[in-house]
Amino acid sequence: MVRRRHGLSRILVLMSGLAVMAVLVTGSDVLAAGPAPAKRRIAASLLTNKHGFYQELEDGLLTEGRKCGFELDITYAEFDAAKQARQIEELISRKPDALIISPCDSTAVGESIVKANRASIPVFTVDIANRSGYGSVVSHIASDNFEGGRLAGQLMARALGGTGKVIIINHPSITSVMDRVSGFRDYLEQYPAIQIVADIPAWGQRSRATAIMEDVLMMMPYIDGVFAINDDSALGALQAIEAARVKRRIVVVGYDGTPEAVAAIRASKIYGDVVQYPRQIGVLAIQTIRDHLNGLPVKPHIAVGVGVVTTDTLGSR
Amino acid sequence: MSDLREDLTRFAPTEAVAAGGGVGGGGGAGVSAAAARRSGGLGVRVGRLFEDYGMAIVFAGICVLFTIWTKGLFIRPDNIVNVLRQISINACIATGMTFVIITGGVDLSVGSVLAVVGIVIAKLLTRLPGFIPVLPAIILSCFVGLVMGGVMGAVSGFTIARFRVPPFVSTLAMMTAARGVAFLLSDGRPVWNLPVQFNFIGRGYVLDKVFGPWIPMPVVIMVVVMGIAHVILAHTQIGRYVYAVGGNEEAARLSGINVGRVKMFTYSLSGVTAALGGIILISRLASGQPGAGESYELYAIAATVLGGTSMSGGKGTMIGTAIGALIMGVLNNGLNLAGVESYSQNVILGAVILGAVLIDKLRKAG
Repeated sequence: MVRRRHGLSRILVLMSGLAVMAVLVTGSDVLAAGPAPAKRRIAASLLTNKHGFYQELEDGLLTEGRKCGFELDITYAEFDAAKQARQIEELISRKPDALIISPCDSTAVGESIVKANRASIPVFTVDIANRSGYGSVVSHIASDNFEGGRLAGQLMARALGGTGKVIIINHPSITSVMDRVSGFRDYLEQYPAIQIVADIPAWGQRSRATAIMEDVLMMMPYIDGVFAINDDSALGALQAIEAARVKRRIVVVGYDGTPEAVAAIRASKIYGDVVQYPRQIGVLAIQTIRDHLNGLPVKPHIAVGVGVVTTDTLGSR
Repeated sequence: MSDLREDLTRFAPTEAVAAGGGVGGGGGAGVSAAAARRSGGLGVRVGRLFEDYGMAIVFAGICVLFTIWTKGLFIRPDNIVNVLRQISINACIATGMTFVIITGGVDLSVGSVLAVVGIVIAKLLTRLPGFIPVLPAIILSCFVGLVMGGVMGAVSGFTIARFRVPPFVSTLAMMTAARGVAFLLSDGRPVWNLPVQFNFIGRGYVLDKVFGPWIPMPVVIMVVVMGIAHVILAHTQIGRYVYAVGGNEEAARLSGINVGRVKMFTYSLSGVTAALGGIILISRLASGQPGAGESYELYAIAATVLGGTSMSGGKGTMIGTAIGALIMGVLNNGLNLAGVESYSQNVILGAVILGAVLIDKLRKAG
């Protein structure tokens, strides 16, 4: 017992010693850098930190922010619009130099943006846009989802050789997904032999996508292709296709390029995926803020490019 | 009680005859009364049949409707197999839920328990096979998951039985906390790369070589679980205790039943069946998902209530729950096949749940 207390106090001494050293080191660092201008503080209210896409986006914000010497204060609303409204109020009261929002609700967020405008804090949105019709946003940085949808259409047309019957597994009411789907439809218009025979929502959930795909295979066993608006939907549909032991080839095109989907593409189970570059969204958001704070003009919409992953592109890597 | 009801139904036609005669004209009433008299026992028997199997008749009606609506697509054997497979998870969860609701409680935590157990099993399955052979690893992981589900249920049950926390509150707390744990353990990401052999539970077929793809493993699990649950509920002492606690808790206590222990048992069972649902789900999806099972508690409650289990406790059967789960599954599948878009599907599903239970209430009151 005594000995243990002895050990504990030794650890405490060691730790306080380390703390003193740390203070000295960082202190000397600050001294060496000389009197720097006050650090710019950027506050953010992001949709979530539970999703790979947002984890990467946040990573982009943090790395680029460090490069620009910004201090970042990141909070997460976890899909709760009311929580986000409170969060933004608190962030505004801390008077940051800029505010980044990825709205939980494209309409409800207007109120919060107006509040930030009144406090003359410049607002930037990432990934999801403000569609409330009020509040002014300096710049919106997001993937070009319409272009992504067109790329998905291109993948589908190529895989099908320009003819076949296709279904869409959708997630309506999400603006970015709506852009994807209209891009997909837009591209396929030049292929009259490719017919979109159904458009069914699975709400982006894997288990629902599986059940829906089972029913689709029953209802229209003749389909040749599936465009799934995210990878959970694609992987869910894939399970149903595999379980039904369909003999013909059904082309699955997904969206996002999550590691699990990439593995399925490598195994030639999914034909290909449209991939976004969330890290790049984060990086561009910080660069846009930097430019704006330095008085440079910035574009109101910044579309971040999208790409595709197929077995071929994976093979060449 | 059931004797009394039998007597009442037996008397009903006779009274109708008397009333018809008394009014002395009313053509329609007279004819129907006469018909009732002529058919005698048969009419009574049909009435009794409807009394006992009302929901089964509703179910049969829905099936006929969809068969016509989808021009026979619905009734094809491969579609029936689909429906059975689709309901297997909900049916497993509803099995435990039935026990809980019969005691007069409710378990809102099942969806979250399913998610946590799914993540834990998926994590074990991605790591264990490096140390021990795959098959023992699968059995061990599933066993750990089932025990975990049982323990989580027991925790809810304990607070309910020992401290009289209302079941709604206690299981709501568990639902919230367990969902958080699922996200914490998985860091918010799906856990995948499960061993291929594990797929069998959710996607395999029993005696594939002999019968072909006709007897899905999840359906076998569902039938076995519901069968065992039926025997427990209808033919064992603990089953009778479950009804007694739900019927009149004070009377049960006074007659020497350990009410707390019975409640603990039902919530633990609910945890185990939720865990079982989790095992089927992650095997079916080939990955553990922290967001899995959201609002599954409501589907399970709906199936249980559709099956005639009373939310105020004391009444309900496993056969009823099976029919409830079938009605839910058939509606989902049939509306999909009939090409009804999903917003209307939700409206119809809601209306059917309310309508079916209303009919049931009115029938029993009348």
